[in-house]
Amino acid sequence: MTGFVELDVRPILRAGGEPFGKIMETVKNLPQGQGLRLIASFKPTPLLQVLGSQGFTHQAREIGGGDWQVDFTPGSAAGKAPQAAPARPATEGNWPAPIQELDNRLLDPPEPMVRVLAATESMAPGEVLAALLCREPVFLFKELAKRGHAWRGAFEPDGKTYRLLVRIGGTPGEAA
Amino acid sequence: MLAIPGATLSRWTLAYFAAAVAFLLLGEALMVLGFGYPIAGLRAPQTLILVHCITIGWLSLLMCGALFQFVPVLVAGPIYSNSLPLPALLLILGGLALLIASFLQLAGVLPPLPAVFLGASLLLGAGFLLVLWTLGRTLAAAWPLNLPAQFVSIGLASVAATVSYGIIFTLGFGGYSRSPLLLGIQAQGLPLHVSAGLGGWLTFTAIGVSHRLLSMFMLSPELDGPTTRWTFRLGTLALAILVGAGTIVVAAGGGPGTVLVVAGITGLACLALYGRDVLRLYRQRVRPAIELNSRMAAVALAHLAFATLLLSACAAAGVVRQYIGPLLFLIAFGWLSGLGLAKLYKIVAFVTWLECYGPVLGKAPTPRVQDLVVEPRAARWFWLYFAAVDVASLCLLLEAVPVFRVAAAAMLLASAGIALELVRTRRLANVGEELRLPAGAQQPRLLFTFVGN
Repeated sequence: MTGFVELDVRPILRAGGEPFGKIMETVKNLPQGQGLRLIASFKPTPLLQVLGSQGFTHQAREIGGGDWQVDFTPGSAAGKAPQAAPARPATEGNWPAPIQELDNRLLDPPEPMVRVLAATESMAPGEVLAALLCREPVFLFKELAKRGHAWRGAFEPDGKTYRLLVRIGGTPGEAA
Repeated sequence: MLAIPGATLSRWTLAYFAAAVAFLLLGEALMVLGFGYPIAGLRAPQTLILVHCITIGWLSLLMCGALFQFVPVLVAGPIYSNSLPLPALLLILGGLALLIASFLQLAGVLPPLPAVFLGASLLLGAGFLLVLWTLGRTLAAAWPLNLPAQFVSIGLASVAATVSYGIIFTLGFGGYSRSPLLLGIQAQGLPLHVSAGLGGWLTFTAIGVSHRLLSMFMLSPELDGPTTRWTFRLGTLALAILVGAGTIVVAAGGGPGTVLVVAGITGLACLALYGRDVLRLYRQRVRPAIELNSRMAAVALAHLAFATLLLSACAAAGVVRQYIGPLLFLIAFGWLSGLGLAKLYKIVAFVTWLECYGPVLGKAPTPRVQDLVVEPRAARWFWLYFAAVDVASLCLLLEAVPVFRVAAAAMLLASAGIALELVRTRRLANVGEELRLPAGAQQPRLLFTFVGN
């Protein structure tokens, strides 16, 4: 029987705050074998995906007044230390050197995104892809999150080239 | 809501676009039928119906739909709510229907019923307030704003001003306002309503959005230099003069003439800088061959330049009042609608592609965005549209009403042709059978977008 750590984010939401960081921190610190019981003022659909990609299964039910309770149970793949949250830029830890470099700066949108996603399909978990882009790939992030990959990205000092690193998901993250 | 960096697709943008195009076709059909200006006077109730079908029904819904999709891209953050745009759309549509009923009362077609004026004000006010709330919260979450988002925020402030003036007028027509201040605004405020709407809301927002869209689709350098910053400052100043000083002057019972001149000169400087930036965008583009949407946007921009020159010349000669009809027609159809149709053509293809093929990219062969459209076929409709607008504007200038109606019919035909191309894009009708729906891809619906899941 899985025990649950309860997190009620309704006060954060009511205060106009942003519970994502708190949720991911709680997930990261879950004791072995424990699940997360999340209470929110709406059905947190994007989160279902994010945690799903980390191996959690969920059971969501409305508890009245528009509020939802979602129980996330760690699956066999979800260990004590989930990999860097794939749904946001990963900042911690050292990543291996990229095994592939793409220069997508002169491609018409959405071709840069197509090439990055095509490349990730042929790579093994844990491997890193680097890509140069001419702008922040806002639509790509969602797609990477859905596929369980982590990324880091920033503009180079020239302010014109955006360098994106994508680490293929599917294995526990390396030591931070 | 849960913040995953990056933008997602807007659920109801396509519904806004569909309603907008329907109102464009309706407005053009009214012109073909000889309803409103130029057969009726500029301030006739019939003309007011026509004008609001175009400005609220077509241009504002188009702009709102585009902003729900585009503001999250501008700020690289999620939309505040992907559900609120639907009630906002329904409120605006209901409000517009009541507004049209109000004007029909003024025309004597419908029996007097003051509650309709109140209802129109409430529904339109609530609808636009919901739009402002959704976009405003999205922008606020991304503070401090980048330059294109700053343009949008001033555009949103302008729509608030435009709608406020409109509500004051509507309540006045319904006999609800007694206050001398409001009656002053009602008596002299029309130029403020028109300038804040066409200039502040539609044009200034389009300027901010076009900076980014043009550079994105032509691979030109991003604009954030001093010219662009001054475009923003001068435009903001012009609108502040217009709405701030203008409201005070007319509420005090004065005429807005001087305020319009000062705001107009400031706005002219803003447009001149914008013109310089646009030329740079086109000249410094990395792609030598540009897509239809960028070519047609250039034609619309040329119409803006021409309309601006014409308006300035008329102002210098003191004959603006005499030619205001053709001038506003050129701005509404040559510039705003032309740009709107051009960008609509690209945005519909882009969001349809992203919705349908995003989930399977890299996993299965997918068509390119350009495979969703057939540009040569659409190009003919676009050229017909712009030619018809030019002929129609000339007819208004020369007061050749019968020819104007023929030109309006050509505009209607061309717009319907473009609308049909949009439907074909949405239905993936231009994509070859073998690539149309790879495993895992979902047939897009006409009026809404599958989001996220």
